Amino acid sequence: MMAIKTTPLGQSIPRREDVRLLTGRGRFVDDIQLPNMLHAAFLRSPLAHARVLSLGTQAARAMAGVHAVYTAQDLKDLIKPIHFDPHIEGHRVPSYTALSGDKVRFVGDPLAVVVADDRSLAEDALSAIEVEWEPLQAVMTVDEAVASDAPLIFEDLDDNVIYHALHEYGDLDGAFSRADRVIPISIKQARVTSSAMETRGIVVDVNPASEEMTCYASSKAPHMLRGRIAEHLGLDHHQIRVIVKDVGGAFGGKGAVWREDLVVAAASKLLGRPVKWIEDRVENLTAFGGARDQGVEIDAAVQSDGTILALRMRMWLNHGAYPGMWLTPMFAALVRATVLSQLRVDTFAFETLIAATNKNTYISYRGPGSAETLVRERVLDVIAAELDVDPVDIRRKNLLTVEEQPWEMPMGVTVHRAHARETLERAVELADYTALRANQVSARADGRLVGIGIATSIQPCPGFPDWWEAIGYKTEPAPARLRLEPDGTITLVTSEMPTGQGHETTLAQVAAAELGIPFGHVRVVLGDTQTTPFYYFGTGASRSSNMGAKAVISAARELRRRLAELGAARLGLEPYEAELPFAEIARSIYADGDATSLEAADVLVYYKPSPTEGGWAASTHLCVVEIDRRFGTIEIQRYIVAEDCGQMINPAVVEGQIRGGITQGIGVTLLEHAAYDEDGQHLAGSYLTYVLPKAQDIPEIEIEHMDIPTDDDFSARGVGESGMLMAPAVLANAIEDALRPFGARVTELPLTPDRVLQLMGELPSESSGLT
Amino acid sequence: MTSGGYRIHLTVNGLDHDAVVRPNQTLADFIRHDIGLTGTHVACEHGVCGACTLIVDGEPVRSCLMLAVQAVEAEVTTIEGVSTEKALHPLQEAFRETHAFQCGFCAPGFVMSGIVFLKENPTPTRGQIRHALSSTLCRCGDYLGIVEGLERAAARMSDQRS
Repeated sequence: MMAIKTTPLGQSIPRREDVRLLTGRGRFVDDIQLPNMLHAAFLRSPLAHARVLSLGTQAARAMAGVHAVYTAQDLKDLIKPIHFDPHIEGHRVPSYTALSGDKVRFVGDPLAVVVADDRSLAEDALSAIEVEWEPLQAVMTVDEAVASDAPLIFEDLDDNVIYHALHEYGDLDGAFSRADRVIPISIKQARVTSSAMETRGIVVDVNPASEEMTCYASSKAPHMLRGRIAEHLGLDHHQIRVIVKDVGGAFGGKGAVWREDLVVAAASKLLGRPVKWIEDRVENLTAFGGARDQGVEIDAAVQSDGTILALRMRMWLNHGAYPGMWLTPMFAALVRATVLSQLRVDTFAFETLIAATNKNTYISYRGPGSAETLVRERVLDVIAAELDVDPVDIRRKNLLTVEEQPWEMPMGVTVHRAHARETLERAVELADYTALRANQVSARADGRLVGIGIATSIQPCPGFPDWWEAIGYKTEPAPARLRLEPDGTITLVTSEMPTGQGHETTLAQVAAAELGIPFGHVRVVLGDTQTTPFYYFGTGASRSSNMGAKAVISAARELRRRLAELGAARLGLEPYEAELPFAEIARSIYADGDATSLEAADVLVYYKPSPTEGGWAASTHLCVVEIDRRFGTIEIQRYIVAEDCGQMINPAVVEGQIRGGITQGIGVTLLEHAAYDEDGQHLAGSYLTYVLPKAQDIPEIEIEHMDIPTDDDFSARGVGESGMLMAPAVLANAIEDALRPFGARVTELPLTPDRVLQLMGELPSESSGLT
Repeated sequence: MTSGGYRIHLTVNGLDHDAVVRPNQTLADFIRHDIGLTGTHVACEHGVCGACTLIVDGEPVRSCLMLAVQAVEAEVTTIEGVSTEKALHPLQEAFRETHAFQCGFCAPGFVMSGIVFLKENPTPTRGQIRHALSSTLCRCGDYLGIVEGLERAAARMSDQRS
């Protein structure tokens, strides 16, 4: 890294994005208004599982202001059936159509689209569409789905099983027979949803004269969206341009093509006019998709001293009906590839069962494999409780030390430079853990339900290549482009697509620091497939602060090298000048328009990490909770984070990501449930019934950054998902600890007050029947 | 009512508007689509999240729950009306400094309700701020940054007054 007087790297610079966002000058997809634009609204199934006997659209078509009503039949020659390639061997993928035709498979399944002069006319026309249904039995759980007499959800599959596999590593029978104890543990999570404040939406503008299609979207992966629209509509990639301006949150959910996108694109093509679709909140909560809705049952083979010999895990995952672009075996593979990550355990079995049901599409939601943290940390706490060992000591016993690394986990994933133990010890120190335990003893003596929770995790961000292989992918190189402008300033073109991460600020900080120029001399350009280098992946998997930034660093180094050479040749500068006179060099290059020099001033790189670059961020969260005996409500009294995400580009951005992630983790642990009843009705279609965390639900959060030195010259690692991974684990552990006087085991999230009262024996433990 | 609409007069950010609105048109849709001030965001359409908050005759109003016809002769302030070309409102400035928002979609609602809150509670406690903020949702979820922004703005604005 260049040493300059005031490097912008590591400073909490206020974000470039914020002035426009705080003054209402952001540009979100619903702010796009094009001449002659029409508006789309979707007819959605009110039933979970039914045959469509007839669909009458004539009355709707005749309504004033309605330009078209399309059904699956109308679009069958325009949109190819959706059939994603299997993720891994043994994965069965049903095919389906963008609009459903003769059968619906979840509440919210789109059946028809109305295109009208404005949205309210389009919505009014929906109610004029006549549908005759033959209801079918709804299949809501994995158990129901795999029953021998289960109704079939997809006729092109023999049954409802999407994926079933057993992976075994090491001598399991030997380890289990040697063990002093075999301890059973289970944990399951309810279906939740990402629910960004900005819903999904797209504006598609097909110009029938030029055959160009421009899509304004709310997406974190514009190139992916372009490719998938091209593929399904039979267009060439170069015909389509995707433009993304501000995105009102994504959290994993906006990195794919959706059925509605394809329908809106087809409608624009048929009508030759721009068509806008903006999802409303009911659609967003009901029909967008769900995450988690999974459970893991574990048998732990342990020695009396707390050493874990082997783990057997059985994971089920409720796939919902239609597969989304991110295929469900990947979500289970994330858990299999990461659950052991810091344990000294090499004997391991992991069984996966994924089944289709009549729920919405399974989506990626921040920390999509976060069950790995929840599962491992529950395993450690239950073992500690069963053996009467302190939870900190059970971790000291089983966590890898940094000296033991690189460590190859049984599924072939390398753990290297991961400082889980260091964060654990620091959190224990910051909390004054011994004193906390002493306080807990006196609080319990007073009849108070105080609990202390600890969780430690390492997170691959970005994972080594062997981690990507373990989840069925390859590491996709990340691009960056830097252009020296005629006045010596820099335009940085990135294919990262931020949805709140602040890349217009942070990547400019990285470039300015590397080039040795003021922050203000770099402007970041992004969000347009016509100007950004091809990058399928977009922003996700906590990759940007490492992969995205390292691409910028590579490009900056190359630009510096070239400009130093040009400066030496043209201006007689020293070849290794520390502070290059960018403006002077630029003037010299652009003045005479010499082709070689102009080419040198424009750098495109694709950065691919070497097999040892990248790696693991680590953190320990520790919290204190108190349960109100009367109501079963939970107060988080203290929340401590000790973390190592390497060097920070912008500490305020890092802390915002950690705290925001913790908020979402609190949501899925205490509040949120996208509940379905036994007939498949969706019960959480508004923010009155799907409860998001509010300011009052969030504790003060104490964060310590450790930035433990590594041999990387740029050590920033991802941090976007850590809060979401950790909060469920640490809260579940703390709440069980608070309930210790009742001998209760936490086996299910969310821990709503009624469930807490059930664990206390204050309410009967009957199932609500909601899933 | 004239040809399917009602004629209304109101001011938005100090400018007079004569408009014809449909009887079922929300104030939010009117401000966004008819006036073209798109800084007001619609996020839940049920009055829960507060993203669409406007200041109407001095009071914070969820514009997804108010009909445009109800705003007849009202004085409406939107997010576009609280800063000048030269300077942000002290609350906007404070939110920027505390990195209160990430995606920023909910930010206009927090600014609008925050301005009214600080007018009514010039020296709020942290607990009062948390309580007041609980009527507005942010999914990026760094509520502590938002609380700190309000605290900082309150301190700065009360310094300016004294």
